[in-house]
Amino acid sequence: MTVHALRYARYALVALAAAAVITVTILALARPGRPPTQSFPPLVPAAAPGSWPRVTLPGGTAVLSYPPSLRQIHGDTDAVSAARLGPGNVIQLYLNATPRQGTESLTHWAAFRLALLRSDDATSAREVAAAEGVKFRGGTGSCVIDAYVTRIGAHHYQEIACLVQGRTNASVIVAAAPAASWARAYPLLFQAVAAYLVR
Amino acid sequence: MSFTLVRSAAGFALLAVLAAGCGTAAAAHSPAAKPTAPAHSATTQPTAPTNRHQSPSAPATVTAPPSAPAAPSVTAPAHTANPIPQGNGGDQDADNNGGPSDGDGNI
Repeated sequence: MTVHALRYARYALVALAAAAVITVTILALARPGRPPTQSFPPLVPAAAPGSWPRVTLPGGTAVLSYPPSLRQIHGDTDAVSAARLGPGNVIQLYLNATPRQGTESLTHWAAFRLALLRSDDATSAREVAAAEGVKFRGGTGSCVIDAYVTRIGAHHYQEIACLVQGRTNASVIVAAAPAASWARAYPLLFQAVAAYLVR
Repeated sequence: MSFTLVRSAAGFALLAVLAAGCGTAAAAHSPAAKPTAPAHSATTQPTAPTNRHQSPSAPATVTAPPSAPAAPSVTAPAHTANPIPQGNGGDQDADNNGGPSDGDGNI
């Protein structure tokens, strides 16, 4: 093999290496999957302040604590809800606890919740963050923070929704607020979620 | 091996790898282009009633339509001043009136 042949062979190897690098880069960028989401903030289970009202789910499987600025509102018969209403009865903060009713599971909770929103209440819903193995008072749960737009009124909400498994029963806690005020509402809502007690 | 063969082989290899990479990228992007909302979602229609809980109780609401009649006194909570809009569907819950979604399993 001559010097020229060796040189061309070297060129070929360099070209192949460059092509491999380009290919790997393209594949990495084009890898299908969910868009990146934020990390789920740490949830430290803690009892609510003594001034917070508490309401127990029918059947006694869970206890929802809510800030005194909220008041209990009616919802589904087997659920409990509390809300802070602003001018024009606009819901500023919303808490709900409901026994598990459908096929939701800890391993597919985020996908289930988003699919339920899209099929039921919302024209669009997107995941912001999700976590599994979240510790609760009396159990473990899977949580998702998501944002959605309601079919009626096109209201933008953001929520924390967790499916929490207790010793014998599972239930769902939802803490929501208008997306525009989410940053302000979030700490209080998160505290209510952290205080959720399951049995 | 002649110079031409080596050069041609390098060129073909480069083109083939690039083409494969682009093809994979295009294929990988295709599913992501699907709309996140179901194609059948009727954004202008009210929430479709389902076989969720048929709660006789009144929901919390975001806004009350001017023509909304008051909720039956037997079901309206005495401690709330929140007027209950009617004309809502489904289980008459807040999330059927543009309010936040509750935690039911949509069964």
